[in-house]
Order: sequence, then structure tokens, then C-alpha cells
Amino acid sequence: MLMNVRNSLKSYFRKPYNVILWVLVLLLGYLTVIPLVSIVMDTFTVHSSEVMRLQGAEAGDLTLYHWNKVLADPVTSSKVFYEPFWNTIWISLGTCFVAILLGGLVAWLITRTNIKYKSFISTAFVLPYIMPSWTLAMAWLNFFKNPLVGGAPGLFTVLTGIQTPNWFAYGPFPIVIVQGLHYAPFAYILIGGILRNMDANLEEAATILKAGRARIFIKITIPIVMPAMLSTFLLVFSSSMSAFAVPQFLGAPVRFQVLTTQMYRTINGLNPGYGYVIALIMILIGVLILALNQKITGSRKSYTTVTGKSSNIALVNLKGLRTPLSVALIAVLLAICILPLISFAVESFVVAPGNYSPSNFSTVFWVGRGSVSIANGEPGILRNKYIFQGLWNSLKLSVVVAFIAGTVGILAGYAIVRRRGSKLSALVNNLCFFPYLMPSMAFGAIYLSMFAVKRGFIPALYGSFALLVLVGAVKYLPFASRSGVGAMMQLSGEIEEAGTIMGIKWWKRMTKIIIPIQKSSFLSGYLLPFISCMRELSLFILLVSPSTRILTTMLFQYNEKGWNQYANAINLLIVVIVVSCNLIVNKLTGASIDKGIGG
Amino acid sequence: MPEIILKNLTKRFDQFVAVDNLNLTIGDREFVTLLGPSGCGKTTTLRMIAGLETPTEGEITIGGRVVFSSEKGVDVSPDKRDVGFLFQNYALWPHMTVYGNIAFGLQNLKWPKDKIEARVRELLEMLKIEEFVGRYPSELSGGQQQRVAIARTLATGPKVLFMDEPLSNLDAKLRMEMRTELKRLHLETDSTFVYVTHDQLEAMTLSSRICLLKEGYLQQYEPPLEVYHNPANLFVADFVGSPNINLLQGVGNNVNLDEIKLDCGGLRMIFTPRSSSITLDRDQPVAVGIRPEYIRICTDGEKGKVQGIIYSTLPSGMETIVRIDIGGQQFTCVVFGGVDFAVDEVVEVDFDSQQNVLFDLATGKNLALGKLDIIR
Repeated sequence: MLMNVRNSLKSYFRKPYNVILWVLVLLLGYLTVIPLVSIVMDTFTVHSSEVMRLQGAEAGDLTLYHWNKVLADPVTSSKVFYEPFWNTIWISLGTCFVAILLGGLVAWLITRTNIKYKSFISTAFVLPYIMPSWTLAMAWLNFFKNPLVGGAPGLFTVLTGIQTPNWFAYGPFPIVIVQGLHYAPFAYILIGGILRNMDANLEEAATILKAGRARIFIKITIPIVMPAMLSTFLLVFSSSMSAFAVPQFLGAPVRFQVLTTQMYRTINGLNPGYGYVIALIMILIGVLILALNQKITGSRKSYTTVTGKSSNIALVNLKGLRTPLSVALIAVLLAICILPLISFAVESFVVAPGNYSPSNFSTVFWVGRGSVSIANGEPGILRNKYIFQGLWNSLKLSVVVAFIAGTVGILAGYAIVRRRGSKLSALVNNLCFFPYLMPSMAFGAIYLSMFAVKRGFIPALYGSFALLVLVGAVKYLPFASRSGVGAMMQLSGEIEEAGTIMGIKWWKRMTKIIIPIQKSSFLSGYLLPFISCMRELSLFILLVSPSTRILTTMLFQYNEKGWNQYANAINLLIVVIVVSCNLIVNKLTGASIDKGIGG
Repeated sequence: MPEIILKNLTKRFDQFVAVDNLNLTIGDREFVTLLGPSGCGKTTTLRMIAGLETPTEGEITIGGRVVFSSEKGVDVSPDKRDVGFLFQNYALWPHMTVYGNIAFGLQNLKWPKDKIEARVRELLEMLKIEEFVGRYPSELSGGQQQRVAIARTLATGPKVLFMDEPLSNLDAKLRMEMRTELKRLHLETDSTFVYVTHDQLEAMTLSSRICLLKEGYLQQYEPPLEVYHNPANLFVADFVGSPNINLLQGVGNNVNLDEIKLDCGGLRMIFTPRSSSITLDRDQPVAVGIRPEYIRICTDGEKGKVQGIIYSTLPSGMETIVRIDIGGQQFTCVVFGGVDFAVDEVVEVDFDSQQNVLFDLATGKNLALGKLDIIR
């Protein structure tokens, strides 16, 4: 009996995927579930910074104070929670609207009409998604800043003499536009994928049955892409809900708060308990959205695409509109992709902000040695050893994080797919995806509180590079495990079994058979964490110490200090690095985070 | 009534010629099959007639109305051609129930609700799918989806029905069943069927005429049995029939007035054309085609014209496919009933039919049908 148990255990753990799954359960359980528990605890305990206000309480005491203040208190709750909450909801809905409208329209134009310059449009359109989200926000400020809030006016005002009103320059309107543009490529990739894979016969069948173009669009095309649209909606909604940089850049001047900026203020300030309550609520919304998404995609109307002869789609002839529309789209794309970069370059050379006369241009912010009159003697970017340190840290961090997340993602994908259908596999799959739902800032905050002290075998990590790596790797695991699972799903199990039969060891099977076949998908699993990490701000902002500063946090600091030229220069640097990395990897291997759908 | 006429129909994709100068007349209430290997242009032809693909050149007339003409600049859109189309993958709309799928075409015609309901019921009954009326396509099996697709196509009562390999996604048993149903439907609906397939058996069993295409060229357009017994060329002979026709290569010479002497490897034969006499060049390279069922293995001690050695036997119950070595050449023959020969057994063999075909090897053209005698 005992022997039997031992033997069956032995044969169970002789299978590599079982080992991987159990290791992942333990590891991710520790790295994602414990933080969640700790965040729940944090909402019920008194924090040291709050002792002053809670009479008779000591740090660590249990209390309902935070929940009460955030959700129920008639005085504080509206300012602390409800107002930012509704702001967040409206902003996210607006973002979804802009993103889906724009992304969907471009996807339709590319896949279903005879618009010109398809490959250029398709490549350029995904750029805003590859660039850091605040790129467009900073560009917006460069152009539309007004002096009402203080500081120098933007290019637009200088060139036209028109003062932009506050609602146009700051707050919800530009946030929605900028985030909408940032997530439009996301909608474009998802909706375009569906449109491209959608069997053209479905529409042809309707044509034969005498349905007009409009009726086909309303009755056939829209309903079929609906599930994809809804998932796009939910994903964009949750992403924009947890966005921090854009609302911070564009909302702060007019004190427009959303949940993430509120969380930053509270956790970084005197009321961490409030922040943890907000974080928890955001996680709950995230879980809700995921559940909703799964319900939609798993409904009985969902379809397995029997791919037909979709190659011969009859493209809609735009006729007279073809050229104007193509040109207009190109112009918009240039305005979104190129103009911001130009504005960063320009701003980084301007000495006194707002004055664009040639005499005011200088290379001092790039190569200056640093003089007391400018920015406290901060030397120019290319001479600044802190910038180089930040750049080095950013690259090092992104490479290490991408390596860990990507590799774990491949292994996770392999094990999840091999044991597909089992409860264990489903558990690991969900654990791998869970970090996606955690707002970055909250995630950073938890890791800060969790690993500030020695925990079991893990030493105190506060201020260390290892902490950044840890939080980054866990946070970006969802991307890598998604592409790992995707790649493994396409691979028939028999391919590996053929190797097993010939007595090839597991390690060899992975490196010689499985990974080479799905090379490009797996590489995307490395590329995505790398690029996300390169441009990540909110995840690391609470965790960096002077020695572990990275480019994005430096950008944020320069921006807060009002040293615009440095911020612009660094931003240009980040965009160039991220975009060229994507380009190089894409050219070398064919892997790409945008996996262009265009023609 | 709908007669479909194709005149000089050509379709080019960039450099590639999919259909080359096709001329075809499909008569009213015919069941015509476009048959050929994959990439021969049959689906393209069908889609051009339906209006889903625009021809490069030529003219298409349906029921006396020109629906496409490159010269006159006519191109009637598919919805105005009054045709039905059954897709290979059914193309059922996943977001509509069976009822919704079938009713869609009628709704487009602005039928009143009660009439739509009645028509859909009628079709559900006709195709025996009443119990699935409220289901979504993803909840149906392949065969059921197929029936829904047929019902949807028939709903508006088109007089011309196009089908693009409709049975290729079904398993063998269902395919057999649907074949019978399609043949009945053809009679019941009283309409013209144009059917695309690469399965010669399907073409043989279903159609009133087969249109055989190869690389965009029309090879032969005749009733199935005519195609089978009198193939226009080597390609047709080889493509139609299972097991394949036996093709022997050799040289031929006129010997007597009406006789041709064939030398095929170790075998020498006399070919007597059934119809008119033919004249060959001296030692003209030819091929002779012998259908497997016309090679007879003699039993009960009967003497045949020649002896053969059994290479292998494949009994399937109703018939047995036997491979025999005769004079150093391999032949396939079919024996009715389950017979099991021993490998390497020596048997007496006879060729007894008037239906052997002589081809010119250079052009592949059919020269004559005739009788074959082996010279001992």
C-alpha cells in the first residue's frame, strides 16, 4: 500500500510538467497570494504614520478606520474615494470609446477596404502602444500647456497666440484622448485579428441571400466581432483604470484625481491604509472584469473558426475617398507618432521654457557641464553620470526581468498545456495571470511592505536591485505565460512524444524540439516584458532608491521638479530605445509585440 | 428557364491563370459537377458564376440574362443573380440560431412573419432537423450543420444552386447519406445544381454531366458513364475510376486493315478499334487503358489467354482488388465477391471487353475504343 503510493508519487513527479506546476504553485502562491493577504491585512491595521490621528491606537492594531473613512464617512469618503472612483470610471469608459472607435475603424480600413499604404499604416499605428503611455501626455503638455496654471505656455499658444482653456489643456479631456490613442493599437490588433480571421464566406453567404451591405454589416459582421470587441473593451478598461502616469501628468495641474493618483498620494503620504483599501477595490474590479470576459468568450454563441478560403475577400472599394482617406490617416499617424518626438527634441534644447526664438536654443541640457544658474548645476544628459546609471539600471533590469519572466512563461505554458483540463493546470494558469489584475502601483506598494524586512529565506530587500527584479518578473509573467500557452497550444503533443519515444531527455526535447519550433512566439514572450519594463513607471516608483534609479523614475522626478528639458530629453531616449529594440528584434527574429495584421 | 452559359471565361490572378478560356453550357435542371484536382480552377469557376469573383475576361449568362460580360461592362452583383450557394465550411452564422440562419434570406426578401415561419418549418421538416431549431451552430454536429446550411440555401427557392465541396468536411458514412439526399433534393427542388468536388466518386454518382478541369483547362464535359468509358485523354482516364485504370505504355503499328499491333514491354497484343479504323505512324508511342473490371481471372480450370502471378489481394467483402503480374507488367483487377488468392499463385487471365482505350502517348488524346487480344 505504502509502496504503491510511493511508486505512483514517483512516477507522478518523474513527469517534468508536474514538477513545474507544483513549483509554480508554491512560488506564485507565495509571490501573489501572500501579497494579496497582506494587502487585506493592511487595510485593517493601524500604520505607524497614522498613529497620530488614531488616538489610543498603536501601529499594528486592528481597526476598521480605513474602510470606514474611505467608504462610509460622509466627510472624507467623497474626496478620498467616490470622486476619484467616478473619475476613473468615466475616464476609462471614455478611453475605451476612443480606443475602440479608432482602433476598430483602422482595423476595418486595413482588412476590409482598398485603402493605400496598408503596411505603413499598420506599422505606424501600433507605435503609440509601444511608446510609453505618458509620451503623448508630455507631448500634449508641450503643445497645449497654458499659463493659467503657471509656467510657460506650450508651442500651440506660442505659434497661434490662442490660449488653450483649462479643460482642453488639463484634466479628463486630454487624459481620455491621450489614453485612447495609447490603447487604440491594442483595439486595432484584437479587432483586426478577428476581422482578418473571420471567414469571408459568412459575409458572402449573406450577400447571396440578398442582404445589402449595411444589413450585412449590422446583422453579420458586427455581431461576429462583438465578443472580440467586448474583450477589447474590458481589457482596455482595466488597463486604463490602472494607468498612473497619464492622469498624473495631465490631471495634477488641475487637481483631477483618479484612483491610481489617489493611491500614490495616500500610500506615499500619511494614509497608507486608505491607499490599500483603494488598491483592494481596484483588484476586485479587475477580477470582476476578468470573470465577465471569460463569461463572454465562453458563451454558447461563441464560435470555433473553421477557416475557409478567406484569401479572396472582396475589399470594399473606397472609390473617390480612397486617396483623401489614406492621406488623412497618414497625416494623423504622423501627428501622433512623429510630432511628439520632435516636440521632445525641441523642448530639450529650449533654455527658458515657452520662448522658441533661435537665441534661446542651447545644447546645455544635452552636453552642458552644469552651471549653478540652470537646474541646480545638473550636468547635461550626455555628461550626467546619474543618467547613465539610470540607463544602465533600466537596461539591466529589463533584460533580467524579461529573461526570468520569459523563461518561466515558456515553462508555465508548456506545463499548463500538457496537463490541460486538470485542476492543477487551471490553478497555475490563473495564478500566472493574477498579477495582471493587480494595479502596478499597489503591487509595488505590497512588495515594498512585504520585503522591507527579512522573510523566511528571503533577506530584507529594501532598496535593492533584486526587489525591482522580483516585482518586475512577477508583474510581467502574465504576458510571457500567455504567449507560452498560446505557442504550446499550436503545437501538437505528438511532436514531443515522438522525441520521448526515441528516448530523448526532457531538457533536450525542450531546447532542440519545442523551443526552436515556436521560436518566434516564445521570443515575443521575452520581448513583451522587456519593453513593458523599459517604460514602466508606476510599478517601480515606490521601490527605487538612489542607487537603483531607473530612467522612468528619473523622468518622473525631473518632471516634478519642473526641469522640463531633462524630462523631455530622457523621454526621447526611452522612446528611441524601446522602439528600436522592438524594431531590431522584429527584423532579426520576426517576433514582435504588434504582430502586424496589415497587408 | 435557367440555362447557364459561359463564354471564353478567363480568370487570372497576377501571373497565374486559374481558368483559361472556358466555354460551358449548363442546361436547365442539370446536375453538373466541376471535377478536378485541387488548384484546377473549379472553385474559381463556381465563384465567378455566382458573382463572388470577378472574371478577367469572358461572358456569363444565366437564364438568358447576361450577368457578366467583360466586353459590355456588365457585372451583376451576386444578390441579383438569383442563385443559392452552399459553402464548403457551411458558413453558418455563429450568433444566430438555426431558425435565424434559415430565416435570414426570407427576411431580406421582406416576407411576412407568418410566411417565414411556415417556410422555415417546411425546410426543417424536409431536412429532418426540427429538433435543433433553437440551437446555435456551435451546438450542432458537422452533419447537422450541413443540413442547416442546405436549408438556409434552399429557403428562398433559388432555381440555380451552387455547391462548393459541401461534403468534404463530413465523415465517410455521413457523406454517403448526404449524397443520396442531395440527389433527391435535386429532383424535389426542380432546380439546376452546379457542384464542385475533387472526389471522382462523388462526381460519378451524383451528376448528370461531369465537367473535368485541369490547370484551368476543360478536359471533358460529358455524362459520367461516358467520361468513365470513353475518357477524352490520359488525364481523364487516370483521374476517374477507383481503383485506377491500368495504363500500359508501348508502341503501336497498323498490321491488317483494322488491326493494330501493340508492343508493351513483354506483352504483345492486337487492338481492334470498335468504331472507325485509325492510322498510326510506324512505331508510334501509345498507351492502352484497361479498366480493372475488364481483366478477368479465370476460375474452375478455365483456360485464359495468358497467365499471371498474384502480387497481392485486397478482399473487401463485396469485391476484391487483385494485383497481378502479367508478362512483367503489374495490373489491377477487380473480382466481384470475396476471393482470396495466395500470393505468387499462378492464374489464368483474360481481357474481355470492347471498352479498352487507345491513347496517343505524345498528346494524351483518345484515339479509339476497342477490343484487346493478347498474342501468346
